[in-house]
Order: sequence, then C-alpha cells, then structure tokens
Amino acid sequence: MKRYIRLYFHFLRFSFSKAMEFRLDFSFRIIMDIIYYTVNILFFKVIYLHTPMLAGWNENQMMIFVSGYLLVDAINMTIFSTNMWWLPYYINKGELDYYLIRPVSPLFFLSLKEFSANSFLNLMMAIGFFTYSLNQYTGPFDTLDIFLYVLFLLNGSMIYFCTQMLMILPVFWTHSARGFVDLFYSLGLAMERPDRIYKGWLRVLFTFILPFAVIASFPARFFLEPFDWKLFVHTAVVTVFIWSLMLFVWKKGLQNYSSASS
Amino acid sequence: MINVQNLTKSFTTHVKEPGLKGSLKSLIKRDKKTKFALNGVNLQIKQGEIVGLIGANGAGKTTLIKILAGIVHPTSGEATVLGYKPWQRDNRYRKQMSLIMGQKAQVWWDLPALDSFILLKEIYQIDNFTYKKNLEFLSDTLMIKDQLKIQVRRLSLGERMKVELMAALLHNPRVIFLDEPTIGLDISAQKAVREFMKNYQVEFKPITILTSHYMADIQELCPRIVIIKEGQFVYDGSLSKVQRMLGDNKVLSVTTEKEIFQLEVPRTELSIKTKEIFENHNVLDLNIQDPSIENIIESIMRNGLGPP
Repeated sequence: MKRYIRLYFHFLRFSFSKAMEFRLDFSFRIIMDIIYYTVNILFFKVIYLHTPMLAGWNENQMMIFVSGYLLVDAINMTIFSTNMWWLPYYINKGELDYYLIRPVSPLFFLSLKEFSANSFLNLMMAIGFFTYSLNQYTGPFDTLDIFLYVLFLLNGSMIYFCTQMLMILPVFWTHSARGFVDLFYSLGLAMERPDRIYKGWLRVLFTFILPFAVIASFPARFFLEPFDWKLFVHTAVVTVFIWSLMLFVWKKGLQNYSSASS
Repeated sequence: MINVQNLTKSFTTHVKEPGLKGSLKSLIKRDKKTKFALNGVNLQIKQGEIVGLIGANGAGKTTLIKILAGIVHPTSGEATVLGYKPWQRDNRYRKQMSLIMGQKAQVWWDLPALDSFILLKEIYQIDNFTYKKNLEFLSDTLMIKDQLKIQVRRLSLGERMKVELMAALLHNPRVIFLDEPTIGLDISAQKAVREFMKNYQVEFKPITILTSHYMADIQELCPRIVIIKEGQFVYDGSLSKVQRMLGDNKVLSVTTEKEIFQLEVPRTELSIKTKEIFENHNVLDLNIQDPSIENIIESIMRNGLGPP
C-alpha cells in the first residue's frame, strides 16, 4: 500500500513537470471549466425561476447536489480521464505489454499514471464551489455530515470510474476504436439530475444497471435528508457489485488480450 | 530454467473479401479461420544459457516471447519459467524478468531517462545501494552517462536503445527476453549493443532469449539457436552444427573480365571446378568461402533440414 502511494507521488511529479511545458493548454482548460460550471449552475437557477421545488429539493438544497456532482466530475477529470482516454488505444495497439510485465497491478498503473495536472485548477474550483454551497446552505448540519458526504461522493467517483471502465473494456473483444465510451458520455448526464426524477424502468436503469443516480444524487440525499437504511444498503450493494464486475471483466479481457504485434 | 511443453497459441480470425461488398457479406456470414501462431512447441533452457530464436516475420517468435513474459495466455500446453507459470503474473516472477522490444519503448518519452529509472526503482523495489551500483555500471559500460538527463525523445535511436537496455537491467533480471533489440540501428550502434549483451551474459549469467533478423547478432551471441517456421520448431541445436551440417559446400566468388558470379560447389569437387573456371574464363579474382549463416538459415527455412 505504502509503495503504491509512493508510486502515485511519482506519477504526480511527472504529470506536473510535463504540464508546465504546455501553458496555452493550461489557460484554455481554465476558461472551458469556468464555462462548464456556469452552465451547470445556471441550468438549475433557471428551473427554479419557474418552480420552488424540484424532485423534493429547493434551490438551496439543489446547489448542495450540484456542487457534489461537479466535485465528482472534477475528480474524474483530474485523476482518471486522461488514462481512460488512452486505455482503448493501448488495448488495440498492443501497448499494454510493458504494463503487464511489471510487478505492480496493471490496473493501478493504467488507470492512475496520467494525472491531469492541467485539470488541477478545475478540481480546486470544484472544491471552492463545494465549500461555498455548504456555506450558503440554510439547513442544519455538522462536521460529521460533511465528512460523510465527501466520503459518499468519493465512493460515487469509484462507481463512476467502474462504469466507465465497463464501457471501455469490451474493446478487448470488439477491437473497436472507443468501445461504448460515447454511450457512457451521453448517458453520463444522468448523474447530473436528482434521482427522484427517474421513475419505472428508467429508475431501474440508472440506479442498478448503469448506476449514475447512485454516484452523486444518493450522497446528496444522505446529507440533505434523514438517514435512510434502504438507500445505504442500495449504495453498498451497487458499489460492491460494480467493482467486482469490473475486476472480473478486466481479468477476462487480459486473458483475451492478443497484443497486436510490433 | 525455462521449460516449455507442447505450447500452442491459436487465433481465430475471419476472412473478409476486399471492398464494401465483402464487408457487407462479412456482416451476415463470417468464414472463421483458425491460425496457429505456435503449434505444439517444446523447449528447455538452462540458467545462464542464451538462445537465438530465428524465423521469418509471423513465424511465432514474438508470440512465444510474449507468452513466456506473461503478456499473452496460451491456448494449450504448459510453460514454466523459474518455476512460475508466466501468464499467472506472479510478482515474484515479474521481478526477475525483463523484456526488451526493439519496436516498443518502455521509458517515458517526455521525460529524461533518469526519471523513468527512478520510477522503475520504485516499481521493482530496488534498494538504494543496488540501484546506484547498477546505474553506475550500466551507464559506464554503455557509455551513455551524459544523455540520461536529456528528454528521451531528443535522443538518437541508438542512444534510446541503450537507455532501454539500462531500464530493463536495473533490477538484475534472471530472465531476459530480447525481441529484435538491434532493429533499425546503424552498424556501430548494433555493434555496441551486441558487445554489451555479450559481456553482460558472461558476467551475470541470466537466461536470455534473443530474436533478431541480423545474423551478426545471432552469430556473435548465441551458441544455440532455435529455428521456427509457421509456429513449429524446425531446428533446435548448436549454431556450429548447422554450419557443419550444410557446410559441406563451398562458395566460389569469381571475378572475370566480363562478369562477377558466385558458385556453390561440394567440397570434394572443389579442385575440378576451379580448374574448369580457370580454363574457361579469364579470371581476375577468385575467392573460396564457407556459405554464410544467412544462406544456411534461409535454406533451412525454405526446405527444412533435409536428410541429416
């Protein structure tokens, strides 16, 4: 474990020294991120011009949720996204070879080695907005609530990561360029809506099969509403299941890896 | 110790006729075809031995190496390296093994080599003392000390290969797979890599499997060779034996006033043939040589070994 943390620090060091070289990209990202955040916040602000309540939350509560999923998004963008972008290419082009021969978990290596130092400010902004929303929140809460909320959001990031991996890993068999990643991005929007708006089969889809609603909406409910055992068990089951499924598919994929020849 | 028993690797591919029509057809019905990259091969290699693996492109050399390095799972058969099944990817095995592919880089492109080395130190848990000692030794013998602080992508191909070798040997591997380490290098860089590997083998005695299309590499480094053709071994034995087996011929290179030509003649007919040549031509120069390894290998790959 300690060794993996040390390795991760090396990844960070490399990423930052690489990012320093490309300053233009750096400033572009910041502008893009500011636009992205503004659009997300305005979207809900506009809705609340027309209705006082949405999916059981008022505007004040909704901003807690919005800052939550923006945090998950920022975590994904900084920690996983670059790695996820390259993974299908690596699989198709036979570039996994050198990762498979190292005495280190290749999954760890491949999903974490490229920290997006460029998006680091994005993460900072997300944390800033998160703090601001908590500050503005009028309901009762204490430090433990914040701690648990962050913990659930981190768990949500893991679910997000696993879901994304499950969309990429079919590349081992299909050898298509991007797997089902595009599907992931279009459906991924489901994460950015409160889960109560999903009814019937849509609810089954987004809380079990592609558990986007579990990523940020459930954590927000833990923070905003009285503790609900059913919700907790639901989160735990989905987490354990999707994590095991991802590991299983990963293992099967490696067995099928044919390593395109040089 | 490497022990390979009846190892087979097959791929299923489907055949597609060219053009859009073929593509549409393959949407509905696919002719599946099984291709054997390796077809029941057996191999034993002792500690300290270096073996040259020779074969045409697509003969199965790289597949064998990738199975032994634990990258690819075999379809059937057994293989153990140092007592481990490679494709189970036991960390204890991976710490003692190294793979160098001439066509795939393992050091980070955008970083100086030393940065990559530090990461490898962490990955292989090399202690400070060993790391410093090996770094010193490798950079001295490869004469590449000054280039280690330069971004790898700014290095020449030869320097990059040396850096790759360093990266692969920092952790004192007991098993080394060298897949075309000299590909694309100029003559002097090829020679440097070859010399280095030769000395390294003598000093550290790892198990080494080397593939190369340059016969000079094989001749210089490998007393034992394995020739592979369409997934099967057609020869496994000493290099000198191959030379002797097919070496009953001599090659005559003749330069006359009009032309230059080569003639392969059995040793026993040598004097008669030369006489003939001198009688029929106005000879300026005549050379009698053993056939080159290239010729021998090529003839084995084309015709098999023939009667012993």
